[in-house]
Amino acid sequence: MTEILQYVQKDSFLHRLAPLTKILFVIVVGMMSIVSTSIPFLVSVILVLLAIAFIAGLHREVLRQFFLIAVMSVILIIITVLTLPGGETLFVIGGIIPITTGGILIGVIMTLRFAVLITAIQLFVLSTQPRDLVHTLERLRVPVDYTLMFVIALRFIPTLQIEGTRIHEAQLARGYNPGSGIGGKIRSIAPVMVPLVSNSLARSNVLGLTIDLRGYRTKKRTPLRERHLLMLDYAVIALLFVVASAFIYLTLRLPVLQAW
Amino acid sequence: MIRLDSVSYAYPHTGKPALTGLSLTVGKGQCVMITGPSGAGKTTLCLASAGILAHEYGGKKEGAVTIDGRDVKSYKDLSDIASNLGIVFDDPEAQLIFTTVEEEILSALERRGLAVDEVEDRLRVIMEMTKLTTLKERAPHTLSGGQKQRLVLAVTLALGTGILILDEPTSELDEHGTNGILEILKGLKAQGRTILLVEHKFLRMRDLVDTLVVMEEGRIRAAGTPDEVISDPAMQKIVIPDFSGIRERTRSGGEIITPVPLVQVKGLSHTYGEDIHALYDIDLTISSGEFIAIVGENGSGKTTLIKHFNGLLKATCGSVFVKGKDAAKTTINRLAHDVGLVFQNPDHMFFADTVRDEVAFGVDNLGIPDRDEVIDHALMRVRLTHAKDLYPRWLSRGERQRLAIACVLAMKPAVIVLDEPTTGLDGKEAREVMEVLKELQLAGHTVIIVTHSREIARDCADRVITMESGKIISDVQAAGGRS
Repeated sequence: MTEILQYVQKDSFLHRLAPLTKILFVIVVGMMSIVSTSIPFLVSVILVLLAIAFIAGLHREVLRQFFLIAVMSVILIIITVLTLPGGETLFVIGGIIPITTGGILIGVIMTLRFAVLITAIQLFVLSTQPRDLVHTLERLRVPVDYTLMFVIALRFIPTLQIEGTRIHEAQLARGYNPGSGIGGKIRSIAPVMVPLVSNSLARSNVLGLTIDLRGYRTKKRTPLRERHLLMLDYAVIALLFVVASAFIYLTLRLPVLQAW
Repeated sequence: MIRLDSVSYAYPHTGKPALTGLSLTVGKGQCVMITGPSGAGKTTLCLASAGILAHEYGGKKEGAVTIDGRDVKSYKDLSDIASNLGIVFDDPEAQLIFTTVEEEILSALERRGLAVDEVEDRLRVIMEMTKLTTLKERAPHTLSGGQKQRLVLAVTLALGTGILILDEPTSELDEHGTNGILEILKGLKAQGRTILLVEHKFLRMRDLVDTLVVMEEGRIRAAGTPDEVISDPAMQKIVIPDFSGIRERTRSGGEIITPVPLVQVKGLSHTYGEDIHALYDIDLTISSGEFIAIVGENGSGKTTLIKHFNGLLKATCGSVFVKGKDAAKTTINRLAHDVGLVFQNPDHMFFADTVRDEVAFGVDNLGIPDRDEVIDHALMRVRLTHAKDLYPRWLSRGERQRLAIACVLAMKPAVIVLDEPTTGLDGKEAREVMEVLKELQLAGHTVIIVTHSREIARDCADRVITMESGKIISDVQAAGGRS
């Protein structure tokens, strides 16, 4: 089974970076992609992210998500074309629905933004041990409950995948035939989702007790195998600073990056 | 030391008493084993003993619980209690939060206020003791059931407490996995730790147990040394599963079914992904009216094999024919008429609001005629007629297991396959399930069970198939069984 958003044990430069550096990286890249509306810029950011994935040896996991992004892009473009007409009208479907350059453009830009965000967050999650993340955010005074919520949400993705498959198989064995297509997907919701959610709720109770018993909410932590900022981290942070400054400067001065 | 003094408790949502006037002392360095039917209140007793009921649960509480001489209510919170007591809950999956084995153990070790060197030392010792050193970089969800149990035990040991409570640590494990846990527990007892253990496998744990407690309906039915307790025949039935005489039963009518081949497996191999070979070249014929036990360690290919019988898995090589139909070319939906499969965890199937609706699901899917009669009959067969209007998830584990059987039974398949049908059941409940299965065989069904239990294979099945590393290594008719 392909695993979604799970930490991959490797010894790459990305793994060696401190979680804090990677958090800054995600913030800078994310902000730039949200502000910018330039297609060439967004495409080059994606290419840089892919290059990083290649160097870190995480390209297999990252590229796998591009199928999802492709599906999402089709849906996004359909929505923007229908809801945000603008620019020139290329042609009109059935005499009512105009296909406009503006609608398509916004759809493409939205897709690219999501691609940047998904890829950047993925690089972060795949290369950061949850334990280090918990420690870093703890030092930044983020309440441990929120951090654990994030960590546990990620951790249970494969468990839910496995359990979902088992439930699906159990219902198939009971002669369940929801049919294919969208109708089938909707019909298959109750027999699969009800057991999945019920079992997860039962589990969340034990999970909460487990966290309390480990002393997460109250006890002081032994400073063990701490992640300190290394030279590499300072270099990356400096680079991020330069890139962010250049981006802000260019966005303000050059309308090219702003308008389409 | 844990002491319970006439403890009574009722959960807020049901109001039904879960524990009634229960008194129990677990002395320092002692191992107390609790057993009894599912729904008897064993897990509630664990929660009470760990002070969790007092601190985290609402509901009606009476009596007093002390841990190491202090009333549980005088502890500040759970993490305060956790400096004296560690508890392992029955679902390992819910107790694993991190992405590697090492991280998981460290997450508990680093919150004990220890020095860095001491944490590293203890980490090494605990991983050696639980035999996890070679697995330290593995992700918890990729571990086997036995490895997961060892890991949650390791995390609890990381708390360094003198008292341990374990809720059914071996219920889903095979012999090998159970031995792994048993070895660890023996080591812990030798270190002088106090252990409260909820278990069904008394015979395996016998050397470890100082006091045996049998619970029923929230009360202690018997407590004492193991020998004292099992000298009472009624208690022995619960503590030690006894399946004798089940195989020898014959049908009163006496008519003989001529066996015809129902499932024919030829040269079956199955490979998961690119390189995980789960089955190699299996040849097997299963005929009508047989009662077959498939035994073998976890990972030997038992579950993979039975999933081919109803088309959930397709053969990588070779073929499977069910009633003459090629399983590779027949839909799962069609095969469900002939082969019913009951999975190990009944909670993976329940979604209806009542027991009756749950059974109706399969019946309606297949369009079985005389719907209502068929459903009532199936519920009667598994002795659940009284529960037909209840919410399935409120039933005890033993009842849920029987309901799962009813769901498949009502679909009238010629072959009924069950994966570990006695998981989490006490001796009496396990016997009930096996008796139901025997009755089904006598009513003309072919019954195939996958089991870890040598006793069940020996005393219930007519034919025992043993698997190892994806191959059938022996296939024998039981002595005295119908050939």
